[in-house]
Amino acid sequence: MIKSVLLVDDEQEMLLSLKEGLEKYADVFSVLLAKDGEDALEKLKQNPVSLVVTDLKMPRMDGFTLLTHVMVDYPDIPVIIITAHSIPIMVKMAKKVGALGYIEKPFMVEDLAQRIIAALRDQSDGGTLHSASSGLFLQLIEMERKTCTIRLVNKSSGRRGVLFFRDGILLDARIDGLRGEAAANEILSWDDVILSIQNECSQKEKKIEGDLQAILLEAMRLKDEAAEGKDAATTGREDGETQEAATVINQYEEKTAEIPGFNSVKKKLEGKIGDRRGVEDIYQDSSWDGLISQVAEVGEFLDAGRLKLCYVNEGESKDFILLPGDRTTVISLNPDALKGWIIEVLSR
Amino acid sequence: MKKLFDDILNMKGVKGIMLLSFKGKLLLKEFTPLLPVLLEDRDWTPFVKALAGVQEADLVFENLRLYIRNSPTGYLVVLMEVLAPIAMVRLNCDILLPSLGQEDTSKGLKRLFKRKQ
Repeated sequence: MIKSVLLVDDEQEMLLSLKEGLEKYADVFSVLLAKDGEDALEKLKQNPVSLVVTDLKMPRMDGFTLLTHVMVDYPDIPVIIITAHSIPIMVKMAKKVGALGYIEKPFMVEDLAQRIIAALRDQSDGGTLHSASSGLFLQLIEMERKTCTIRLVNKSSGRRGVLFFRDGILLDARIDGLRGEAAANEILSWDDVILSIQNECSQKEKKIEGDLQAILLEAMRLKDEAAEGKDAATTGREDGETQEAATVINQYEEKTAEIPGFNSVKKKLEGKIGDRRGVEDIYQDSSWDGLISQVAEVGEFLDAGRLKLCYVNEGESKDFILLPGDRTTVISLNPDALKGWIIEVLSR
Repeated sequence: MKKLFDDILNMKGVKGIMLLSFKGKLLLKEFTPLLPVLLEDRDWTPFVKALAGVQEADLVFENLRLYIRNSPTGYLVVLMEVLAPIAMVRLNCDILLPSLGQEDTSKGLKRLFKRKQ
């Protein structure tokens, strides 16, 4: 994954020259340009940036002010300062505010490139996972009481987010300009992510209340709600119709044996669950009867009451929900199906 | 081995777990409070045979829910209330299943990462 570096300088020639010089590293990082601090803040809002390189003396907003903003609003983004003269007090101030380091003019582009590459490499010094469930991974972080900064990329949308952990406690999260719990809820709802871990955390203050488990649950709830809302909006249905869907399904379960026109009921069921929820097909298949029978016997042994459904994942491209009846009704689901929601509706 | 399952057993709504070998032998059980039935009294072989090929199952009854995962050792069966947080149970299973059958379960995150080049 190519990372972006934001170069900030009011000298246009310097910027263009740097950009040109850094083009040979295009397979490692890309370059964004900003003409001063204010412009840089705009660019930071609009683009996922991994590192900032800024001059100190600029009109409108100087490098120190920009550095302060970055430390507060984007604490995961390191800043390298360019100074015309290595005045010790300025360097000291820059480091005190939080700059990663400085480079003195004049400098070789290659030297700057090596500094950039080293800083970017540090952002994944704890390793990279290219296909992971964020929930699972973050529970490991919590369990191992790690202090780290985790950068995540949502593989489906390309959005990037950052989580800050200290001793396994989630302190803060950031996605674009969003911070805190709202950002954590968004990030934790991502199913498939690329994530890299940096073994340090610049964030010290806890900005997220509650523990990780609670936030994970809330993120899942919001994800389900968003999916339901989206679906209701596209079909013109209202929230209360979820219950109606369950009623239709229950009626269907009860009447399966006496259905003269299976297809008409099937269409009703499809209409209520819909292919937007990942339902591929609904059919009857007696080859599942053996499993259903064994499951029902176990339920009887455990005094579990009537068997409502079985969800089965065989590790293939489709999963199945089995509804008991004279013949087992099978609902096949694609990998993107909202399994939890469908099971919940069918279980009611 | 019981300690491995503590995270699951401590979850709200989880009544207990059992581990069935692929031949139907009850390898482990942990329930709080104890179940009113003796799990050892049942021949689990037909049930395990019926599960052949199943990697994950969620069996929803009127009063109980069984979440099942295929592991290297056998089938892990989590008994829980119908409204238990199944997503969290699933996540905890994701974490512990690779440890089942391994002597060293302390590798933690290291096993997930590539070495730095």
